[in-house]
Amino acid sequence: MGLLAAGIGAGIVALGAGIGIGMIGKSATESIARQPEASGDIRGAMILTAAFIEGVALLGAVICILLALGIGQG
Amino acid sequence: MIQTLRRVFLTLLFLSVSTSNTFAADDAEGAEEPIIDVMGTVADHDYFKVPKFINGGKLYLPRIFYWETAEGQSRLSAYASTKKALNSGEFIENDEGAIVPAGGGSIKVDFSITSHLVYFWLGMGLAVILTIMAANRYKKGIGRDVEPKGVMQNIFEVLFVFIRDDVARDNIDHHKADKYVPFLFTMFMGISFMNLFGLLPWAATATADLTVTATLALVTFVITQFSGTKDHWAHVFWFPGVPGWVRFILTPVEILGLFTKPFALAIRLFANMLSGKIMIIAILGLVFIFADLFGAGAGYGVGIFSVALTVVLYALKVFVGLLQAYIFTLLSAVFIGMAAEDHDHDDEHYFAEHIAEEVSA
Repeated sequence: MGLLAAGIGAGIVALGAGIGIGMIGKSATESIARQPEASGDIRGAMILTAAFIEGVALLGAVICILLALGIGQG
Repeated sequence: MIQTLRRVFLTLLFLSVSTSNTFAADDAEGAEEPIIDVMGTVADHDYFKVPKFINGGKLYLPRIFYWETAEGQSRLSAYASTKKALNSGEFIENDEGAIVPAGGGSIKVDFSITSHLVYFWLGMGLAVILTIMAANRYKKGIGRDVEPKGVMQNIFEVLFVFIRDDVARDNIDHHKADKYVPFLFTMFMGISFMNLFGLLPWAATATADLTVTATLALVTFVITQFSGTKDHWAHVFWFPGVPGWVRFILTPVEILGLFTKPFALAIRLFANMLSGKIMIIAILGLVFIFADLFGAGAGYGVGIFSVALTVVLYALKVFVGLLQAYIFTLLSAVFIGMAAEDHDHDDEHYFAEHIAEEVSA
């Protein structure tokens, strides 16, 4: 049961993070195309925002690892 | 200020000792021996992994316990290794594989030096030594009167100027930024070294351990709180310029926000380094799983792909290791900058509270 939950959870985590980071990448590339001289600033903001999303996604991934290994089930 | 920070940091450095014995408790499940022990490879150990021909591949590290005897006396005992602690007769191993005092009582704090702690010291020590070496050259005038000489000093200057200009000065108020550069640079260099140590044979990634990353995030948390201005605390406890009832929602959220920031920092670094390690072990582990299922030939066949993929992953891990060190430093700077920000007088909250009154009066 724990393994099933971990698998489904990891899938949803990847889905959410993928959508989030994909949207950041989309708008970042669009902005760079529109204003190439600001590409340095945009890249910095992109990495920062992606890091926030990644943090939440990895929190989910850690919980999936814990579930899969059966840690904390008493 | 810097002196206080330094003292806090040193204290935390020595306190970042793993306080549990849980890493020894994994083999209790018994019957089916797994082909690869993934968690055993990434877990903290009471020994230092070395090549097999030295001492059978394990150099044992000291165990230090602060414990209470059955009679209620507090004692501090140190042993050269776990085996020595067991041989002394004062400690025994219980059913779960954890070390407990033989005559009853309990271990209050386990100060044992573990492999991750040693790599933490190595990473931070290397950062400090390299920085002192470079600083001595600048003291002599190389890099100030004449241009920097040598590969090392040039790399150092690139990294240092990067942290100072792009991380500290961009995110923290200008007249305050330089005060935090030593801390940010130590974090960046130390975390980079710790991340990259994990790529060496036999070595361990200290940052793939939640106790290590939590300690680093705790340092950031303490520094952020100590650098908070009056405005910062006003925004936390009594948000200016909103209707009164909104504050009942905002204040708990803001207080929660103080703690979630360093928590997210710790989890992000930990999970990134851990997942990278697990990925490499899993892909190399395919070789052994296939060899076990379909015979040695399949193992060799899969090995070609596994090793090629691992090489690519290693290159990715070098990049991710440096990127995560950068992100940790950048977010630390952003959090400190948010707390240390002086609100200008043309700020709209200030306007709402002070200037509007003056205008209407």
